[in-house]
Amino acid sequence: MSARNRELFGLIPAALLVTAGFTAIFIQRSAQVSNVSLTYGALFLGLCLAAHVVVRIVLPYADPYLLPLVAVLAGVGIVMIYRIDDTFARGQVISFLIGLGFFLGTLVFLRDYRVLERYRYLIALGSIGLLVLPRFSGSVNGAYLAIHAGGVTFQPAEFAKIGIVVFLASYLRDTRQVLVMGARRVLGVTIPPLKHFGPLLVVWGAAMLMLFVIRDLGSSLMFFGAFLSILYVATNRLSFVVVGLAMFALGAWAVGTHVPHVHSRIEAWQHPFNRRLYEAQGGSYQVAQLLFAQADGGVLGRGFGQSLLQIPGSSANLLPAPRTDLIYAVIVNEIGLVGACGLLGVYLLIVQRGFKAAVLARDSFSTLLAAGLTSVFALQVFVIVGGVTKLIPLTGVTLPFVSYGGSSIVANFALVALLLLVSDRARRPG
Amino acid sequence: MPYAALLDPASVALKFGFLAVLYLFLMWVARSALKDLRRGVTATELPPDATGMHAASAGLAPEGLDEWEPRLRVEQAMGMRSGDEYDVTGGVVLGRGTLADIRLEDPFASSRHARIVPQGDVLVIEDLDSTNGTYLNGTRLDGPQPLHPGDRIRIGDNEFSFVH
Repeated sequence: MSARNRELFGLIPAALLVTAGFTAIFIQRSAQVSNVSLTYGALFLGLCLAAHVVVRIVLPYADPYLLPLVAVLAGVGIVMIYRIDDTFARGQVISFLIGLGFFLGTLVFLRDYRVLERYRYLIALGSIGLLVLPRFSGSVNGAYLAIHAGGVTFQPAEFAKIGIVVFLASYLRDTRQVLVMGARRVLGVTIPPLKHFGPLLVVWGAAMLMLFVIRDLGSSLMFFGAFLSILYVATNRLSFVVVGLAMFALGAWAVGTHVPHVHSRIEAWQHPFNRRLYEAQGGSYQVAQLLFAQADGGVLGRGFGQSLLQIPGSSANLLPAPRTDLIYAVIVNEIGLVGACGLLGVYLLIVQRGFKAAVLARDSFSTLLAAGLTSVFALQVFVIVGGVTKLIPLTGVTLPFVSYGGSSIVANFALVALLLLVSDRARRPG
Repeated sequence: MPYAALLDPASVALKFGFLAVLYLFLMWVARSALKDLRRGVTATELPPDATGMHAASAGLAPEGLDEWEPRLRVEQAMGMRSGDEYDVTGGVVLGRGTLADIRLEDPFASSRHARIVPQGDVLVIEDLDSTNGTYLNGTRLDGPQPLHPGDRIRIGDNEFSFVH
């Protein structure tokens, strides 16, 4: 089977999942089987097919599995959001359409993505501007992550992550050699000369500044982690990663002890069932409810549409923000540990395809770009799933392609489009 | 819970159907990932007759070949760790291209830049009509030259030394 036919074949399970999910929800809601779910499945398949046809024409050699994997995630997202609140499902479908538009636009207009290298400082400045912007717009739960304008909420960090990876890939392509050569080894740790170590300190400083400015541990971890991964791929020096993580831990400790809202997040993470924290405003209620919901789901889950989202007889949400950041907990509750592991498996395979594109790429910029984009994507999933499962303190990052939210879907579609562009160039014969 | 009593067999079946489709899909994609991994192993496997850096443990190497273990040590090269060694027993091609055995990340390197080939019981280095030349101990190569332990080979900004 050729690569493109494999991609085409892979879209069928995605459409089947959408159909099965909608059917199950309809049965649960109104105890009837309706052919509307088939229509939804068919519409979804139609949209994916349209994207596939464009990929077939523009990028004949691109990785065949990325698009089906993304389609499965987007399908699960639409089903889950419809299940949580059908009015928002409409918005999610519109986001999906805009996302697909961006995806195809990136494929067609950025075919030679290496032009991005030319604008690297502009891209870096723009991305940092995007990150700082929410500071002037007001905070949500103490963190500055979104801009509200005219009824539309926009999460600039989602776009900034791509810009920053593009900048780092292009910058490190030129300087990686300088960082490694002329390095001294002290006690088995490679220390680059101070003058070349400077930029690394600057990026660390920027990450720390971000930590203080946007006051969000999760997105700082995502950005800094992506930086360290690109640095590691570029220089093959584990010591840079170790030193970087130590420096990050230092900064995180400082922020955790001095910024009250971050501190309360960490407390809630450590003691979610503490009565005082549970009852406190902005305390551990959220974390505790997340854990209850996941435990209640068990191995096989309660089934589609069976999760208890609201206290019966009242309109109070049991789980705060079930559509956006915490959708993972609803998924665990409804399709259980098995379903959630399947979902994580989809993410894992996207990451594998991304790193594969990085390995196959023929020039350093492409390798670093694909590795960086894949890392930032993987770290985003880690930060939110880790937060929901109480591995790390919970912070507000979206679950890519599944969470409700236009910025997240559109930005991640652009990210996957870049990965496809890299893999197409890498696999093109000759 | 009253919910449990309402469980419709059809919706349970659909949930399992959903999970089954999800996992079958995952297995289908993972199969190709595993194939890649397996292919990766065979591609780096050394030919059975090569001494090989890793296979050169005493007992396994043929008699008389124990001391003959020619390697290229990285002195400084872009994207490589200084001090790393490449086994060159069976001959290698150095260059920027994907088909080179030792890949150089240097804009001054040609895609097939130079090669080292065994001739009788010595190794010979030869420039492959590269644009910017290959330097052996500071002088530009002009025709094949035999390699001696301690020789330094420079291509662009990359420098290797030849060791036994």
